[in-house]
Amino acid sequence: MTVQSYVEEVLQPKLQGDGGWVEYVCLENGVLTLTFRGECSKCLILHRCVAWIEEQIKLDLRKNVKVNAVRKKPYFQDT
Amino acid sequence: MAHIKVVRRSMRPEEWTDLRFGWLKRHIYSSKWEIENLMIRDARQTAEMEFQYYSEDYRPLKKGDMYFTPDGTAFIRADVNIPEHLQGKELWFSLKTAAEICVKVNGRYIGGVDPNRERMLLSPYVNDKEVLHFEMMGYNRSKPDDERNPESLSVRGCRQIFEGAYICTVNHAVQDLVWDFELLLDIAKSELFNEDYRAFLNRELNNAMNLIDFDSDEISGVEKAKKYVDEVIYANDTYKGSGDVALIAHSHLDVAYYWRRIHAVQKNLRTVLIQLRLMDKYPDFKYTHTQPYVYETLEKYYPEVFEELKEKVASGQFEPVGAMYVEPDCNVPSAESLIRQCLYGQKTYERMFGKKVNNAWLPDVFGNSWILPQILKKSGVDYFVSNKMSTWNDTNRFPHNNFKWKGIDGSEVYACVPPTHFITWNMPSQIQENWEAYIDKDQGGQTMNMFGYGDGGSGCTEEMIEMMHRFKKLSVMPKCEHTGGAEFLEKNLKDNPNLETWDGELYLEMHRGTFTTKSDLKRINRRLEYKFRTAEMVSLMRGEDNTEKITEAYKKLLINQFHDILPGSHIHPVFGDAMADYREIEAELDGIIGTGTKYFNTLNFNRDALTFVPNKKGTATRYGEKGNWLIPNIPSLSSATLRSTKFAGEWISIGDTVETPYYSVKFNSDGSIESLYDKELQREWAKGDFNKLKLYTDNPGNYDAWDILPNYKDKQIEVKVVSPLTLKEKDGESASFVCTLGTEKSTWEMTVRLFRRSRGIEVENKVNWQEKHILAKAEFSCNVLTRKAVCDTSAGYIERETHRNTTWQQARFECCHHKWCDMSEFGGGVALINDGKYGVGLYENTMSLSLLRATIRPDVVSDMGEHNFCYMILPHKGDPIGARVNEIALQYNVPLVRCDAQWKLPHFEPLYLQAAKKSEDGTMTVIRLSEQKGTRGSIRLDRKVKLLNMLEEVEDETDVIEYKPFEIITIGL
Repeated sequence: MTVQSYVEEVLQPKLQGDGGWVEYVCLENGVLTLTFRGECSKCLILHRCVAWIEEQIKLDLRKNVKVNAVRKKPYFQDT
Repeated sequence: MAHIKVVRRSMRPEEWTDLRFGWLKRHIYSSKWEIENLMIRDARQTAEMEFQYYSEDYRPLKKGDMYFTPDGTAFIRADVNIPEHLQGKELWFSLKTAAEICVKVNGRYIGGVDPNRERMLLSPYVNDKEVLHFEMMGYNRSKPDDERNPESLSVRGCRQIFEGAYICTVNHAVQDLVWDFELLLDIAKSELFNEDYRAFLNRELNNAMNLIDFDSDEISGVEKAKKYVDEVIYANDTYKGSGDVALIAHSHLDVAYYWRRIHAVQKNLRTVLIQLRLMDKYPDFKYTHTQPYVYETLEKYYPEVFEELKEKVASGQFEPVGAMYVEPDCNVPSAESLIRQCLYGQKTYERMFGKKVNNAWLPDVFGNSWILPQILKKSGVDYFVSNKMSTWNDTNRFPHNNFKWKGIDGSEVYACVPPTHFITWNMPSQIQENWEAYIDKDQGGQTMNMFGYGDGGSGCTEEMIEMMHRFKKLSVMPKCEHTGGAEFLEKNLKDNPNLETWDGELYLEMHRGTFTTKSDLKRINRRLEYKFRTAEMVSLMRGEDNTEKITEAYKKLLINQFHDILPGSHIHPVFGDAMADYREIEAELDGIIGTGTKYFNTLNFNRDALTFVPNKKGTATRYGEKGNWLIPNIPSLSSATLRSTKFAGEWISIGDTVETPYYSVKFNSDGSIESLYDKELQREWAKGDFNKLKLYTDNPGNYDAWDILPNYKDKQIEVKVVSPLTLKEKDGESASFVCTLGTEKSTWEMTVRLFRRSRGIEVENKVNWQEKHILAKAEFSCNVLTRKAVCDTSAGYIERETHRNTTWQQARFECCHHKWCDMSEFGGGVALINDGKYGVGLYENTMSLSLLRATIRPDVVSDMGEHNFCYMILPHKGDPIGARVNEIALQYNVPLVRCDAQWKLPHFEPLYLQAAKKSEDGTMTVIRLSEQKGTRGSIRLDRKVKLLNMLEEVEDETDVIEYKPFEIITIGL
């Protein structure tokens, strides 16, 4: 399974269940850029979730990645 | 250069009290013993009671560890030997958490902890000399609802830090004083109370705190402080409050919202369990709990807790309220759906507890249709409770709290719209606020104040009950009475001659977008509502007993009419669940309906409107399917074989104008109609934009899925014509003109159909919708002078003013309608018939049908993707009733069905045959008739029938059905 399909098929449903949203952007030189929307975009402890995502990818795909989390907040909360 | 505002000042005396209050709270526990052998297993819930486990086995859980995962459920366990020094004492289990955790010890459900309570009592339920086998199941809800603790709010999210679990003993002297301070500080900080009394409190609370020594190793002086509070503060009755407030304990539960429905099973378990434990501790505590559906889940999955619940129902402490199966949206569901909510709800309560309830409990729904009072009244419901109009209206203050609500047919129920929110935590300021907001002080009796956390927040807390026990000590508070829901309603509303009457819909001046958001749900819900009708009728005609299958499927539909599912205000997976349910329901109903050689007209009037009948060899296309347009001309409740007509003559000419037998039409390239000249009535129907697709920016703010703002028309988005309107298909009955419209992201194929033998003009829309924050509307400016529009409610029509003279009309810039709306003047008018749209704007001579929205909260991709829907423009002579718009709209929405069975019962014309089914007890055939034209009359039958209420209980017998305007009549044969 590729990192992209892992994000889209394994991680995404879990985050969606919490009102969150994650989108794969790219994986370059071990840096996995993900866009976080929905509740994730304004989560005050997103860094914990990001660390968990890195752990899960290492556990399930045996790949070391560093996640670059990009928040995409809705306009009405974009402060 | 950034400007940094620096504020330096001394600590105020009240802040000194607050600071010490924080210190005092640290002494609530007299001892804490950490459970250090906890083990955890992470999982995710995939279905009701089904979990996907992330590991084969449990792992150790230590203080400081991360626990919970996104949408995660965690199972935590430990075998605990209570240390000898704690044995024999009153023991508590404590776990500070952001999650919702249910705790089982030695196989018995003992209680729960969550963000609103960090401890639960163990002692009466366990033998502390035994090994205690703890089993916990926790669901971490990232989205806080009404969260009072800002500290907890700041750490809400998928991944939590475990703060340890403890066996504790409580210092009750400290705890009591903490509750006293909680109560008194709330008053001291609230501007709703007398200023001098608050000054007195600030002074004396400081004095009380001064009696406590916080500096020694052991806290001391607590008893002295408590005595001071009793003798100085509570004893002061100089300051007199006013008011009479009924305190109703309740926990609102969204069946689905920021969580899937599968999680509501455990949310409900925790809520019920925690309230049962509070009842054990506080014999005077009463709690109201609604939604028979959630009782069913408890009975099914947690029978031992359900048995406890039944005992508390019998003792009167636990009060089932709310006759409806769930708390449905009360705008979009049809009359028959709302009736089934009551029928299945009441039957469930009756089966479980041997009694029905006499109230509808709908605190959170987004406005209420005018058809509701009759449905409630005929379902054994005399009282109606719904909060939103008082607390959420954005324009007008709803003028009543306790009143009578008169329905479309003249039926009346007693209604309570409590003045404040349905989730409060029973603090004096909230109670005072309720009293001050209460409008009917002089004639309404007490005001209703609900308290308890909702949505898995598990209802009331010890603190709320302790507060309540102290209210009588405070002369400054309104008089408070803790009571049940039904008790309050019967005491204050029943036979109260002073109550005012509200005659009309209970329109919520907010959440106007919920008539449109997630349009697929609305459209399929409509289709299934009629498919249930067909399935029940066909079963009856064939003599098949499908009651069990149909009831099960119907309940599934009703659950999905919950007020955060059908309205579209939920996260993405909830939408997926609803669509999966719809597919299951439809497959079940299709199986029941089956097929036949002939077409059966399930409507109890002649099927005379041009109808599309699918046929692979057909010469027309609709919804991507081949078929023929034909006039079935099948009499009421009869069947026939159908043949397409082979009209070979020329019936349409296409030039600058398109000439049909009915119209001379001048189209614009975007499918809109510049001129619609009616040859028969010799008049023009268009006056301005007519069938014009308009896209508006739709930025309602935080309530994205819910709201449309009154200024939505401020900014319009250009719709480009990608390919202009051209003739695409023509046969002897219809001609389809197609254009493609678009924006940068979306394409919109509009097909306009003209007919040889119908006044209707159908518009089919095939959309690839990829917008964000856009509202799509089809606008129709009609050449009609009118001050009112007429809208279908599914059980009669409502007239709505189209001017903006007062704030009441201004606020109703977007309304809910069902199959059709109409603007007419004396000689004629224009009706719009839809197959699943509900939102409409009605202003002067313009109807603007809401088609699609594109909101991003709670669902980031709400409504994105492919859509295919139709509506029909129907210019007509006279008024919509005389023009039989409702009958045509029914034909438009109720497909012909292939069935060879025969209808052997009366036809009941001119009433609409709304439902025909086997009774729930299987003893009779139930017929539901609806008067939809606003007329009065009688139907003489060839036999005696039983007159039933909507719960299928016999009330009378007759062979003459007398009906009055908009009446719904149920009979048994």
